[in-house]
Amino acid sequence: MREPKIIVVGGGLAGLMAVIRAAEAGVPVDLFSIVPVKRSHSVCAQGGINAAKNLKGEGDSTDRHFDDTVYGGDFLANQGPVKRMCEAAPGIIDMLDRMGVMFNRTAEGLLDFRRFGGTLFHRTAFAGATTGQQMLYALDEQVRRFESERKVKKYEGWTFLSAVLDDHRVCRGICAMDLKTMEVRTFPADAAIFCTGGIGAVFGRSTNSVVCTGSAQSALFQQGANYANAEFIQVHPTAIPGEDKCRLMSESARGEGGRVWVPRKPGDKRPAKQIPEAERFYFLEEWYPKYGNLVPRDIATRAIHKVVYTQKMGLEGAPAVYLDVSHIPRETLDRKLEGILEIYEKFLGVDPREHPMRVFPAMHYTMGGLWIDNTNQATNVSGIYAAGECEYQYHGANRLGANSLVSCIYGGMVAAPAAIRYAGGLDKGCESVPTIVYENERRRQEQINDTMLHAEGTENPVTIWKEMGDWMTEHVTVVRNNPDLERTDAKLQELADRFKKINLSDRTSWANQTLSFCRELQNMLVLARCITRGALARNESRGAHYKPDFPDRNDAEWLKTTRAHYDCGTIKFTYEPVDTSTIPPRARRYDAKA
Amino acid sequence: MDTAAPGGGNSGRKVVVRVKRRPDTREEPRWEEFALDWRPHMNIIICLRDIAERPVTRDGHATTPVSYEASCLEEVCGACAMLINGVSRQACSTLVDSLEQPIRIEPLTKFPVVRDLVVDRSIMFENLKRMKCWVPLDGTYDLGPGPRISPEVQEKYYPLARCITCGNCLEVCPQVNENSDFVGAAILSQVRLFNAHPTGAMHMKERLAAVMGPGGVADCANAQNCVEVCPKQIPLTESIAEVNRQAIREAVFGWLLG
Amino acid sequence: MSTHPLTMSASKTDDQSAFFWRKLHSLSGIVPVGVFLAEHFWSNSYVLVSPEKYDAVGQELQTLPFRPIIEAAGIWLPILFHAGYGFYIWGKGKSNAFAYPWMHNWMYTLQRWSGLIAFLFIGWHVYTARFLTGGRSNFVTVHDDLSNNLYAAFYLVGVLAASFHLGNGIWNFLCKWGLAATTRAQRAAAYLGAAVAVSFTLAGILIVYSARYNFHPFARYIQQ
Repeated sequence: MREPKIIVVGGGLAGLMAVIRAAEAGVPVDLFSIVPVKRSHSVCAQGGINAAKNLKGEGDSTDRHFDDTVYGGDFLANQGPVKRMCEAAPGIIDMLDRMGVMFNRTAEGLLDFRRFGGTLFHRTAFAGATTGQQMLYALDEQVRRFESERKVKKYEGWTFLSAVLDDHRVCRGICAMDLKTMEVRTFPADAAIFCTGGIGAVFGRSTNSVVCTGSAQSALFQQGANYANAEFIQVHPTAIPGEDKCRLMSESARGEGGRVWVPRKPGDKRPAKQIPEAERFYFLEEWYPKYGNLVPRDIATRAIHKVVYTQKMGLEGAPAVYLDVSHIPRETLDRKLEGILEIYEKFLGVDPREHPMRVFPAMHYTMGGLWIDNTNQATNVSGIYAAGECEYQYHGANRLGANSLVSCIYGGMVAAPAAIRYAGGLDKGCESVPTIVYENERRRQEQINDTMLHAEGTENPVTIWKEMGDWMTEHVTVVRNNPDLERTDAKLQELADRFKKINLSDRTSWANQTLSFCRELQNMLVLARCITRGALARNESRGAHYKPDFPDRNDAEWLKTTRAHYDCGTIKFTYEPVDTSTIPPRARRYDAKA
Repeated sequence: MDTAAPGGGNSGRKVVVRVKRRPDTREEPRWEEFALDWRPHMNIIICLRDIAERPVTRDGHATTPVSYEASCLEEVCGACAMLINGVSRQACSTLVDSLEQPIRIEPLTKFPVVRDLVVDRSIMFENLKRMKCWVPLDGTYDLGPGPRISPEVQEKYYPLARCITCGNCLEVCPQVNENSDFVGAAILSQVRLFNAHPTGAMHMKERLAAVMGPGGVADCANAQNCVEVCPKQIPLTESIAEVNRQAIREAVFGWLLG
Repeated sequence: MSTHPLTMSASKTDDQSAFFWRKLHSLSGIVPVGVFLAEHFWSNSYVLVSPEKYDAVGQELQTLPFRPIIEAAGIWLPILFHAGYGFYIWGKGKSNAFAYPWMHNWMYTLQRWSGLIAFLFIGWHVYTARFLTGGRSNFVTVHDDLSNNLYAAFYLVGVLAASFHLGNGIWNFLCKWGLAATTRAQRAAAYLGAAVAVSFTLAGILIVYSARYNFHPFARYIQQ
């Protein structure tokens, strides 16, 4: 029997988990990553990972986790996959624990759990405030071990350009570019698993890493893979705004008792410490007494927007509110939150253990992503699988904090065996595909590079990117209005036109970062339109998607998955029903009394 | 649009940046100077982005954007280590206002330069492999919870697990250079971490065998620069001493007492 | 599903000789070389009592049974090994104390230079005090030597270098043998090393002064 050949693109949590599962099954894997995998964006995940281990005697269960996730996602998530994920979560925590993740512990030496948004249970295991980093490293170490046993081959410093599709539109490998030599090369495989993460760069400044461009997803979308629920973009309520990026202040700050407030008197100029309790407006606690500061992110973000823009109560009139942990004992803060407090201290020079932090919402996560089926993480293109943030399956219209890490791991766990089963069932493997198929794809990609390198226009790619980011952030994040979305779509088309007139200030063929950035930018522009058009079409409010003109959820018309198709430059949408077989949709309200 | 574009600033204050450029591995490095518009909270990454948006030197010559590595921009991925005013540090967390001008930006010197500020640090990952820095797992299938660990032990070893493999500790180490194959503090600290984990400890002997080999712990000469420069304040010198103790115990008593 | 081996991937047998020599180098600086230095300072400090006592102790040492073997195995070979391997180690490092002027980094650099100075001094010292005197060095020869300003200055430099090298070497040894593992223990070890360096320097200066100026502060011990 022939040996299947698997490629994994992306070395974050989902990708590494897929690699480990494939290597364990004895299937050779090639792993591609733009950065050394240990530098993947998963390192930025701070607060923790959810699993209903029920170690606090609260009567938590995987069913409660399932319900919180579906409810938190405003019933847009397919319930079958979500249920299976929640059931797998406790086992995932055990696996990570065995791998040596330095989770915080209780006095008895068991895993400690903290509270997170959108639940009333202590369900979030954590390693200080750098949980994602700790988990990524644990998986990275396992992969390194397989690498030393020659079961995995890493291609770090390669960027994915396109899938190699045969005449039947079946994936037979990938085409990638070495970021050092700029060599474009094809890699045959029977199946490729995409774990290419978030799309923050589409919004210019977000909480995401520089590498989170969504370029791979967009490239696949343009090659025929469907993209689902693009319009659902999570804006995290608490981030430190910055010119280069918005640095996340984890929900765990609130999980450990942090409180969000503004002075009751708009424009109050006194230092925070001098404002007495009675003159502080803890708006989340007043508006949502049951969940308080731990309402889901979409709710908290809209509340901050309301306080700042409607009630004009931002700090000294600026778009900012306080996230206050200064009442928590220093020792507790250092033990449980050091990683994030250190970020605030380093970048702003203020000690958040003493002074409330100034924060504001920032684009953080995409619930939408490559369309996959409900059982196998398989896209609509044969041989292409997806796991992690780049697919759409687990979070519906809004993701709960600390659910992303579990969905990454779970997705990787499902995708690898599914891809291997598929590859094993193929009549003919990639070795029997004519070389011309690979040759053509390579030439096509080299052609694109050549065209960009020799473009004699006047437009600077960084400028186009910044404009796109500003428009997307202003009109396609927290509050969406159809006229603005229309204008944004027009703007994006204008930018795409201007992109044709770019001029690369670097035309060399060695480690040319300008070229790779341009290729990403071209793909980002497509994805930006997919998000904007998806938002324009959906005339309701659900989870993170909020339109003041359509303030209510409309299950009759919109309890369905948006599925975008790309066809020769145009984006078309179809809609399909959501699996609500287990939990019937009910009104989503977090403002009820306790 | 509130983004202050380069050239569009209004304070008039300039940031002068000198970057050591090297187009590829064959050509000799040269310096280029840029004058950028100052903005509050500017870090080195913002400077490099400004140059990318307007790649023109201070004296008006068109050039290419500077190649550099960066990813998370919040000092947790380790990518953007470089020499800034002669000191090895992360570009993202180095604020312009804390520096003397002109700001000199150079690539790390202990690793092969790929282009401009991009260096190849893959040797560190190779050494992690050589030193067997992992917990050996039977498999990822469900085998129940891991070993119990006291909060004290977790608090002691969690800081070691925060190493971002940035390479600053290697850059400043006088023992790391082209004459030596010393693996450096970061890797030795990982050896300590895995020797401390209850399951990892089961394979301590193999790790110590590697650590007593070429480029291992004995090559540390105690200059202790590593701990001064570590952006994560990892107690690297404690790690090295601890690994030393384990290795000595193994060397002295290993053959004697088994 | 194929199972993978329970053990880790097979390691190639690493050459551990460098580890052995490095650790031996560190140890040899303390035992026997450091111990000998202490003994040498101790026996020479009899000059603080009286020239006669000084010569008597010298005589005592020169009549030790098995003296050539003890000297070779306990002093000359260890010093030669410690120095020789030390130069080899020096060659493998690249000092950067000016770029990163932290205290321990300066110590790193000074350890190398002080080792070189001490080695040169020892060579010269052995030549003048042992070979030129035909092994019959006594208070008179030493006093004559130290009356020469250049000789006296070189003695002081040699004493300072050797004392620093030993003191810092003790700190290094305690770290490198993992005996001072915590930051706190390493700080204590640094204080210990500093104390050794300072006391050896002071004792050495006193001995040189005593031999040069016929200064015998403990002479009253004899009268009692």
